[in-house]
Amino acid sequence: MTEPALAHIDLSGVGKAFRIGTQTVPVFSGLDLSIAAGDFVAIMGPSGSGKSTLLNMLAGIDSPDSGTLRIGASRLDQMGEGARAAWRAHNMGIVFQFYNLLPMLTAAENIELPLLLKPLSARERRLRVDKVLELVGLNGRGKQYPALMSGGQQQRVGIARAIVTDPGLLLCDEPTGDLDRQSADEALSMLGFLNRELGKTIVMVTHDPQAAGHAKRTLHLDKGHFIEETRAA
Amino acid sequence: MSSLLKQVRVMIRTNLSSLPRRVPISASMVLSVALVVCVLAGFLAMARGFEAALTGTGSQQVAVLLGGGTNQESGSDIPASVIRTLGAMTGDMGVVRDAAGNILSSREIVAPVEVSGTDGVARTLALRGMDASGLGLRDGIVLSQGRVFTPGTREVVVGDRLANDLKLKAGDTLRLGSVDWTVAGRFSAHGSAFESEIWSDLDAVRAAFDRQGQVQSLRLRLTSPQSLTLLQERLGTISGTPLKAIAEADLYAGQAGRTASLIRLFGWPLALLMAVGATAGALNTMMSSVSDRAVEIATVRALGFSRLAAVVGTWTEAVMLASLGVILGLFASWLAFNGWQASTIGANNTRLAFQLAVTPDVLTTAGLLGLAIGAVGGILPALSAARVPLTLALRARG
Ligand SMILES: Nc1ncnc2c1ncn2[C@@H]1O[C@H](COP(=O)(O)OP(=O)(O)OP(=O)(O)O)[C@@H](O)[C@H]1O
Ligand SMILES: [Mg+2]
Repeated sequence: MTEPALAHIDLSGVGKAFRIGTQTVPVFSGLDLSIAAGDFVAIMGPSGSGKSTLLNMLAGIDSPDSGTLRIGASRLDQMGEGARAAWRAHNMGIVFQFYNLLPMLTAAENIELPLLLKPLSARERRLRVDKVLELVGLNGRGKQYPALMSGGQQQRVGIARAIVTDPGLLLCDEPTGDLDRQSADEALSMLGFLNRELGKTIVMVTHDPQAAGHAKRTLHLDKGHFIEETRAA
Repeated sequence: MSSLLKQVRVMIRTNLSSLPRRVPISASMVLSVALVVCVLAGFLAMARGFEAALTGTGSQQVAVLLGGGTNQESGSDIPASVIRTLGAMTGDMGVVRDAAGNILSSREIVAPVEVSGTDGVARTLALRGMDASGLGLRDGIVLSQGRVFTPGTREVVVGDRLANDLKLKAGDTLRLGSVDWTVAGRFSAHGSAFESEIWSDLDAVRAAFDRQGQVQSLRLRLTSPQSLTLLQERLGTISGTPLKAIAEADLYAGQAGRTASLIRLFGWPLALLMAVGATAGALNTMMSSVSDRAVEIATVRALGFSRLAAVVGTWTEAVMLASLGVILGLFASWLAFNGWQASTIGANNTRLAFQLAVTPDVLTTAGLLGLAIGAVGGILPALSAARVPLTLALRARG
């Protein structure tokens, strides 16, 4: 298995606005941001400041109106919808606030979903799923359905699904927003481990200062700009 | 297996396993498809059954002679002089002769008679008077009860289908016109239109209905189906009245074609109209399926699944629900209609009984219409599945 190229994230002069009817809601104009490969960045900021919008653009789910968005060697702002979907499948994992597991699939089948986009045999897929299940501490739980799992366990399945293709970049939108303190700490430790030991670049949006404490650095987003940057100890 | 195929397969699987969340609206689509299929199958089975009853009737090797320029027995008249001329003709006419050299023939008339059935409803039936040779001139006739009518007496034999309908058996009396007749026996004709007739002696029928000397049709046995043209040529030399010789099978099939077309002419527009309604219903069902699955669709799309997978998955759900309706509808129509007895006005303005025939081609046609409802009704919803906003995946509680 070849390691995906470590991805350096670079936004420059990014503008983004939403149109609701005749009104235009500007979110960003001339946003610059640089995140080094292997970094673990927490993004904080008031509600409506554009954290999710930024993450969506990084994920290729949404595209900037202007400016350049470069991740590694790829110019996401120049890709079409289909190319971005393929790019997502190969280069990043997404961890959702509400886990977004498909209820009719078992934990293992949920984790397997991104692998279906790769030229792997059923056996190879199963080996990979078993490996990440073990990594997130859920070995033997693969056949369980999400509904029978606790929120913490479901989020660990969500993290396993995000890393099963071994992407260089993990994007997390409030990954602990729906978890109790203990489950949240477990999930955050896991992200820390993935960053430290496996070298994943992680961008995590959070409202929780304690969660941000797990990151290497925290960016504060307000009124469309990063106004403050604090280094973790 | 290609990646797209794997994506589509898992999309179909998750779609179908999410169906329990949408039972009522999915069931309504299945049922409306089933209803359309059932209605079309019913009409087509009726047309098929009617054709089967009449096309199975009669032989290609029996010629029916009609006089007076008509194609039907009811308006036909053959003058006695023509019959005499025919009897006197020598040489090969393409018809079978007996040992003495006489043409094997049966003179026949048909009298419409009113009979009230066991339900008390009066119906018009065909009472056919024929020469004693008439029975032998028909293929596939088997006496199933009693004996043949005795010439010169008021005795009849009744076709099985009609006899079942009227609950008649050998020995019963039956009032036809103003006189009573005795049922001498019953006959079977493999379910063909013959079974809807009552047969008796020519002179007895003439006497009872005041039609002395009349002959409406003459049945002749051909030496081979091909010798019909030879017979027609020889008939051309007889002057006095226009004569027509038709193969017995064609005479009945001609009547079948007209009525079967009429049945289909009623059935198709009705079924198509219902299909349009069902398609709108399918569209509605599938639209609500897409909105019900929106978060799941957005999630797998965010994971990198292609738009096409979402489209195909949704469209397949529509076709599968329609298939379920098709299976249900076909099964129901087969249960309800196959062998179901129906009757209509047949030849000679008399009643003709036949069985609805749910044949493979009926099932196929009705089934295809049902599938088309799903295939067409699923197009727009499938396209809308491709347009589910991906940002939904991050926002919504799954
Ligand atoms: N699809 C959309 N259509 C219109 N406006 C939108 C859309 N998505 C976001 N916005 C607007 O853009 C701004 C930024 O929204 P965004 O969701 O990025 O904020 P956020 O920082 O993630 O907030 P929260 O902390 O509540 O999640 C808000 O004013 C929001 O109303
Ligand atoms: Mg947000």
